[in-house]
Amino acid sequence: MKFAIPVLLGVLPLAAQDIKMPANLDRLEAKASEVVNVQLDGALIQLASRFLSDKDPDEANVKRLVGGLKGIYVKSFEFEERDQYNKSDVEDLRAQLRGPAWARIVGASSKKKGENSEVYLKTEAGQITGLAIIVTDPKELTIVNIVGSIRPEDIRDLGGHMGIPKIDIGPDKKDKKGKEDDK
Amino acid sequence: MMDDFEKQIQDALARKEPSPFFEARVLGAVKRQARDRRASMRMWWATVAAALVIAIAGSAWQHQRSEQAREDAAGREAKARLELALRITSVKLQKISQKVEGI
Repeated sequence: MKFAIPVLLGVLPLAAQDIKMPANLDRLEAKASEVVNVQLDGALIQLASRFLSDKDPDEANVKRLVGGLKGIYVKSFEFEERDQYNKSDVEDLRAQLRGPAWARIVGASSKKKGENSEVYLKTEAGQITGLAIIVTDPKELTIVNIVGSIRPEDIRDLGGHMGIPKIDIGPDKKDKKGKEDDK
Repeated sequence: MMDDFEKQIQDALARKEPSPFFEARVLGAVKRQARDRRASMRMWWATVAAALVIAIAGSAWQHQRSEQAREDAAGREAKARLELALRITSVKLQKISQKVEGI
């Protein structure tokens, strides 16, 4: 009985998650050279957003962005060696994302590099209620699950703000290259 | 000689009438003492009450301050985690966009 409350508190943040992270992922921490594990439920997001300034435009933007979120869960592993995680763990995740509410909106893979990136959206009654991202390559596994009303492009466009690096994306890069070629 | 001595004793032991207003002065002194004692007790209780109020208020202020500090620390920690999660998500989405645009 003594352990009931800590166990319950430990489970509560997970209960808010749309997808259940495979238990095997926790064992990867020992093998990984870099591990990021972020679990923010709705209450923690609200607490964090109280510390985001309304006066700073970037922070105000993030505050607005996370206002409708009920959870953010990120697990990311980077390995020194190749193939440290089981493909079946990723398959378990994909299986959960085959439900009727989920739709894969982006799937990009490179057989040559062994990279695979997928973006899934969860919609209910015409509203986006969740986002999941799975990025795998031989030395990396990243899983993101955001619960709540969110548009992927809003998060993507945070690049260049709040210390988030901005990565040149397609047309801009091509344009830049084109301009350089013109010189 | 003996008579003088007896006389002195008789004089010393003879009943003397108190000075005028003696009773009033004694009663006044008793009342003053009682009043002073009550005032002193009131002062003592007031000091104790003031000390208690100060102690309780100080303790409440300290508790509130430490609660605030704890909440601030938790909030800053949550904000840092939120920023980290958004950074990872944004970078991944940007890279995915880059791949998709590059196809």
